[in-house]
Amino acid sequence: MTNDTISLDQLTGWLTRFRDLVTEQVSYLTELDSAIGDADHGSNMTRGMDAVLEKIQASPVVAVDELFKGVGMTLVTSVGGASGPLYGTFFLRIGTSAGPVSTLDAPGLAAALRAGLGGVVARGKAEAGDKTMFDVLAPALDAFDADLVVFSDISSAARAAYSAAQAGRDATAPLIARKGRASYLGERSIGHIDPGAASTSLLFQALAEILDKE
Amino acid sequence: MIGIVVVSHSPRLAQAAVDLAVEMVGVNGPAIAIAAGAGAGVIGTDASKVAEAIAEVSSPEGVLVMMDLGSAVMSAEMALEFSDDPDLPVRLSSGPFVEGLMAAVVRAAGGATLDEVEREARGALRAKQSHLGDEDPAGLPVDSGPAAEHTIEVTLLNPDGLHARPVSMLVTAISAFEATVTVANLRTGRPPVPANSPTALLTVGARKGDTISVAAAGRQAVEALEAVSELVGKGFGELAAAHAPAPRPARSASRPQARPQGGAPSSGPLGVSPGFAVGPIVRMQEPVNEPGPAVALPLRERAAAAERIVAAAASVALALRDKAARVSGAARGILEATALMAADPGLIDAAVSRVTGQGHTPERAVWAAVGEVTAVFKEQGGLLAERVSDLHDVRNRIVSELLGRPAPGLPDRVEPYVLVARDLAPADTALIDPTVCRAIVTVEGGPTSHTAILARALGLPAVVAARDAMDLPEGSVVIVDGTTGEIVVAPTDDQVLRAEEQIRRVITFDGTGRTRDGHRVQLLANVASPDSVAAAIEANAEGVGLFRTEFCFLDHAEAPGLDEQVAAYRQVFAGFPGKKVTIRTLDAGADKPLAFVTAADEVNPALGIRGYRTAWQRPELLDTQLQAIAAAAAAEDADVGVMAPMIATVDESVDFAARCAAHGLHNVGVMIETPAAAITAGPILERVDFASLGTNDLAQYTMAADRLMGELALLNDPWQPAVLRMIREACQAGLAAGKPVGVCGEAAADPMLAAILVGLGATSLSMSPRALGGVAEFLRGVTVDQCRDAALAAVAAGSAGAARSAAALLLEPTRA
Repeated sequence: MTNDTISLDQLTGWLTRFRDLVTEQVSYLTELDSAIGDADHGSNMTRGMDAVLEKIQASPVVAVDELFKGVGMTLVTSVGGASGPLYGTFFLRIGTSAGPVSTLDAPGLAAALRAGLGGVVARGKAEAGDKTMFDVLAPALDAFDADLVVFSDISSAARAAYSAAQAGRDATAPLIARKGRASYLGERSIGHIDPGAASTSLLFQALAEILDKE
Repeated sequence: MIGIVVVSHSPRLAQAAVDLAVEMVGVNGPAIAIAAGAGAGVIGTDASKVAEAIAEVSSPEGVLVMMDLGSAVMSAEMALEFSDDPDLPVRLSSGPFVEGLMAAVVRAAGGATLDEVEREARGALRAKQSHLGDEDPAGLPVDSGPAAEHTIEVTLLNPDGLHARPVSMLVTAISAFEATVTVANLRTGRPPVPANSPTALLTVGARKGDTISVAAAGRQAVEALEAVSELVGKGFGELAAAHAPAPRPARSASRPQARPQGGAPSSGPLGVSPGFAVGPIVRMQEPVNEPGPAVALPLRERAAAAERIVAAAASVALALRDKAARVSGAARGILEATALMAADPGLIDAAVSRVTGQGHTPERAVWAAVGEVTAVFKEQGGLLAERVSDLHDVRNRIVSELLGRPAPGLPDRVEPYVLVARDLAPADTALIDPTVCRAIVTVEGGPTSHTAILARALGLPAVVAARDAMDLPEGSVVIVDGTTGEIVVAPTDDQVLRAEEQIRRVITFDGTGRTRDGHRVQLLANVASPDSVAAAIEANAEGVGLFRTEFCFLDHAEAPGLDEQVAAYRQVFAGFPGKKVTIRTLDAGADKPLAFVTAADEVNPALGIRGYRTAWQRPELLDTQLQAIAAAAAAEDADVGVMAPMIATVDESVDFAARCAAHGLHNVGVMIETPAAAITAGPILERVDFASLGTNDLAQYTMAADRLMGELALLNDPWQPAVLRMIREACQAGLAAGKPVGVCGEAAADPMLAAILVGLGATSLSMSPRALGGVAEFLRGVTVDQCRDAALAAVAAGSAGAARSAAALLLEPTRA
């Protein structure tokens, strides 16, 4: 039997699992960021996601748009660095795209994620190969869509997205950063995985894991 | 009145900027709201705070938002999307944070519209730019980005490009100016690096002939660029030094070894600084070990820990500068360069961020930060890879300082010793006291390493690439032969006595070069300026085989006048009454560029307008020089010959001879430095009176191997059979024509090779005066037939190593 929807509980589980993953990997993310940035990505993301979970627990929501608008705003106000507006916009647009529903079907999730990507591009003005979270997000969503066309299974699509995300993350290592603080390093950014790409890959890991549990 | 919102990562920065601006308008200013920090002391920005701030100061006339950088811009953009009032005019200003805010507040207080205020803020840098004289030439307001920059492009002339010494000169020169300077290598097209960071500059990988783009911004940008331009134009003071032949590793005479053809010069002990030494071994302290991993430092301790790195680096830099002040010459420059590396802001920042970000211990952070830079250096290879030991030295010093240990360094000894080390850092080598340290043996290193260069400067025998040296027991007596690379462990009393004899002996030349059986070979001196005449006379040289005239032209913007030249040449001619002095006309270009004859933009200067070819473009320079030589020769009693450098054709020889004849000069010759001249030596010698072989260039052109590249040292070896065959071709042409053919390259200074040259038919050998004694003595020990047999064998050999082995075999036995 194939899964074709994701519930509000599962979406909350996705965010919880994402929080757990960034917390587990906080030093890895910070290490990546210390190589080519200001060494705060790990702590920024854990602070932001802790705040997100706190908010969710404090005031439960009944609709997907409500959930993600809350997530986006919380990230915007608690992260501090560039990830705040970027992840914030990502989740805000997901919420807007999803609307006041309690479950999302697979195409609905795909569309919402796609809207999130649009938000990230609008906010960060990044393009493919700039060594940013875009380099994970875009191929992951492409893989998600492609897998969905073939298998019509949301879990399978999420797994495909995660494996594309990992590949995208690793592929940022040889790139020269063209956005953000890492871009000041120019050539010296070569050889380091982009921290934003790494945390975005965790986002897809969380989605794949939460959908596999069913 | 419009409202103003100030967005910053830091509440303190925002408040200070607002205070500054409000001073101008007092209580009559616009409404200003600050959105700064991400709450709870976090440096960052928060879009919702920006949105709140906009709402707070909103007015029908609109709101202008001033931002610092990065996420501030994104948060402000995002805040516009949160706005409850889509009709509220809000504008984000790309103006500079402080000046723009000031301009905006003042204009807003005066009741200007949002458009007017926005334009004023955007152009707010103009006043400063105009004051500092770097206003955009078009007079347009600068929209964003850094202040207007000045840029120059300059081509590196010095032999090794931007290596450690020029880098430190550059950093030091620039630090005197209020300017932010960056350097980019146009050949590689990589992004510019900050010129205040020596390590970053080294990664530019700029070599001789590369054009670098230097950009400067700031009050003294123009002055900084002028200083850079001057340094580069003068080749960082290394152009004059380029006259000296590139250091060439001495090779083992008594223990010839097979070497990989064309590989790195790294197999087997390599003698790199000649001389004998006897003494007990003292090993360098084992290097500082990599600090082990530790639990991440708690956040509250990180700032203090990071501060310790800054302090340790500063104290190491200070100590090195102190040491630099106590020495002179090459040692001083190297210590100063090392001090600069210890204070490299890039390096320190990298280490500090590992402490603040990851909670590394300071010593581990320093270790890792240096590791990253050295990885880049190693990757780039070549000269840069040789700088790795400089950086490791800096690392070890800072880590020792952090651990409260004494700085790693030389053994503290007053009794003589032989120093054995894995690799010597330049800072160590520079402090070696040659009255106590008798020789240097290292496991690592190559012929162009600092160890080799400094050992030669100190006159200390040195052997590098002695792989097993660290296994030698401390205190055991060894004999070190810095020529052959041989290390005799636990020598017999007899061996020690003989070595000590060698050390004491000064070989003198009696003034008549000949083989054991009386075959005459003129032994002459190379003279590069009137200053070196005395050394040539003291060494009993039979005359001068190569009088280089470039000294007269260096440091001149234009060619020197006739009188100046006559006076200079007379000084040399006067030293050798009745003796042969062969003067060479100007040899500019390639590694000896001169501003007024050398084009800076040649793609391949070694194959460009150089040597005699410069006379095509500036024939009047040659004519003036020949006139001066004729006048100087007439005024003195030396037996003067004139020769032209870098001849490639018979026509050039004819042309040169005619020009000389026009000035009454009749003993005329040419240098044979190109394969073309060597294989047409027959027809050339029909037109001139003599020829002289320049073996350095002849090797470079025969082997197609840049003589300035250390990696090609094995190809640039006059022992290469191909080079020996070229020499033979020229010498045989001389014998057939009954005209003298000498050798004036450094090959003549290698005693065994000198014997081969004699065997090939060279009639004279010219060398640096200090080599005369050794060459004369060697020739006295062999017969001319031995020389010929050895030459035949060497020419027939399959490799440079085999040529040398064969020669050694045929020349050694009868000498004993």
